[in-house]
Amino acid sequence: MKKFPNFFKYLIFLLLIPAAVLSGVLLFDSKKYIFIAICVAILACLPFFSAFESKKISSRKLTVLAVMVTLSVIGRALFSFIPHFKPVTAIVVITGIYLGAESGFLCGALSALLSNFIFGQGPWTPFQMFAWGLIGLFSALLSKPLQKSKVFLCIFSAISGIMYSLLLDISSTLWYDGAFNLSRYTALVLTSLPVMAVYAVSNAVFLLFLAKPMGEKLIRIKIKYGI
Amino acid sequence: MNERIAFANFHPVSLFFYFAAVLIFTMFTQNPVLLLISLFGASLFAAVTSTRAQIFADLKFYVPVFIVISLTNPIFSHGGATPLFFMNDNPVTLEAVLCGIDIAVMIVSVMLVCKAFSKVMESDKLLCLFGKAAPKLAAVLSMSLRFIPLFKRKFAQIKEAQTALGYFKSGSLSESLMSNARVFSALVTWALENGADTADSLSARGYDAGTRKSFSLFRFKKQDAVLLILTLALSAAVLPGFAGGSLDFDFYPYITVPGTDGLSLISYSAFGVLSLIPFIFEVKEALHWKYLRSKI
Repeated sequence: MKKFPNFFKYLIFLLLIPAAVLSGVLLFDSKKYIFIAICVAILACLPFFSAFESKKISSRKLTVLAVMVTLSVIGRALFSFIPHFKPVTAIVVITGIYLGAESGFLCGALSALLSNFIFGQGPWTPFQMFAWGLIGLFSALLSKPLQKSKVFLCIFSAISGIMYSLLLDISSTLWYDGAFNLSRYTALVLTSLPVMAVYAVSNAVFLLFLAKPMGEKLIRIKIKYGI
Repeated sequence: MNERIAFANFHPVSLFFYFAAVLIFTMFTQNPVLLLISLFGASLFAAVTSTRAQIFADLKFYVPVFIVISLTNPIFSHGGATPLFFMNDNPVTLEAVLCGIDIAVMIVSVMLVCKAFSKVMESDKLLCLFGKAAPKLAAVLSMSLRFIPLFKRKFAQIKEAQTALGYFKSGSLSESLMSNARVFSALVTWALENGADTADSLSARGYDAGTRKSFSLFRFKKQDAVLLILTLALSAAVLPGFAGGSLDFDFYPYITVPGTDGLSLISYSAFGVLSLIPFIFEVKEALHWKYLRSKI
């Protein structure tokens, strides 16, 4: 019984994407690509949100998720003494590894949404939500090898930092030019290269130091409170 | 925090639709008339809702952004039929320069509209909006919002304690990184335990028992209905111009002349009214307040 409405829900999400493409082409001709991209970024987050809503989830799981989201948001402020040194990605990765794919995705997406209340919402919010959500999702899928090898963990976090800024630069290029302008994209990537480097290194450093102790804490909480 | 902004007193639903409409029409067009209207409305609203110091700080930020974006565009696009001069064998065209200014107007006005959005739509309004559709996510978000100041205070307490014990050093960068990481680690332990306690307390009070609702103070009043209807009606008047293609605007290879047919004139005037609503409302309320005070 419960499976049926869910199936329809996902079908609706799938149908909404071509609808977004169609309305983008019909209405916003010069800016259709960015319109479609934003719609798809939001629509891609919705199935995760709706699955979370339709499940029965204990309040303990809810609060632990809220704690992880908060930690990643305030981590941005606590380590602000080194510019661009943010533990957000590290905490999203840890949440993904130890609490599973759903929590990982939600922790990433909600951290982006919440921290933009402090640092400013904008057209980048849906992309940040989707990108960080994906980082959480992938770290959950790769949780076994990520737990085993520190080298892999570092490489994974550095790559996710780089992919994150490459994706966001694509969205700004689409937004500025209305189409994918390679020379502007290269320029954006080149100017963000130093930040990207710090970002990749800081992700690796944070995960190297935080992954094990935080993971142990999460496992302990899971055993102690049966989450 | 935002008692000073009269526009913030509207119901979240009306505000959300209003800002969504303005943002969509600003972000997804290249038409310079629409963009200038949007920039005009957004800057007037920013001017009446900020102090003089804030206005200067904003100018210091937005003017350079504007200049950099409009000047760099010719580097990225060499389309256009009217070369002004050549730089490294690449033509700098009139069309590319004007297109750069157009992009800059768009970006600055979107930033200003987003800023107005953040000023007016605080997190409690967003929770009220999505609390019904997504009660669990709203619960997570509202808990996080409460945790932010709580965790910050706890972080400061742990830091003080570790400083007193001689653990906390902030001499070199690596030392302060290590020390902060140690404080952070202690914070994580405490935060998770505290979170589990919060959860138990929630369950004990029957949070899991029924359907979840989000508490909100907002009531949908007459003026909210007026704003909502106005937004929808004006958007409906703007849209035909988009759909019919009369608002389409191209810079390359030749600059098109902005459409002056009936459809686009309707779109321009409707969007003009739409983007000026917050400013007009703000001024109206200020005058009303002045009038009330003068009667005392």
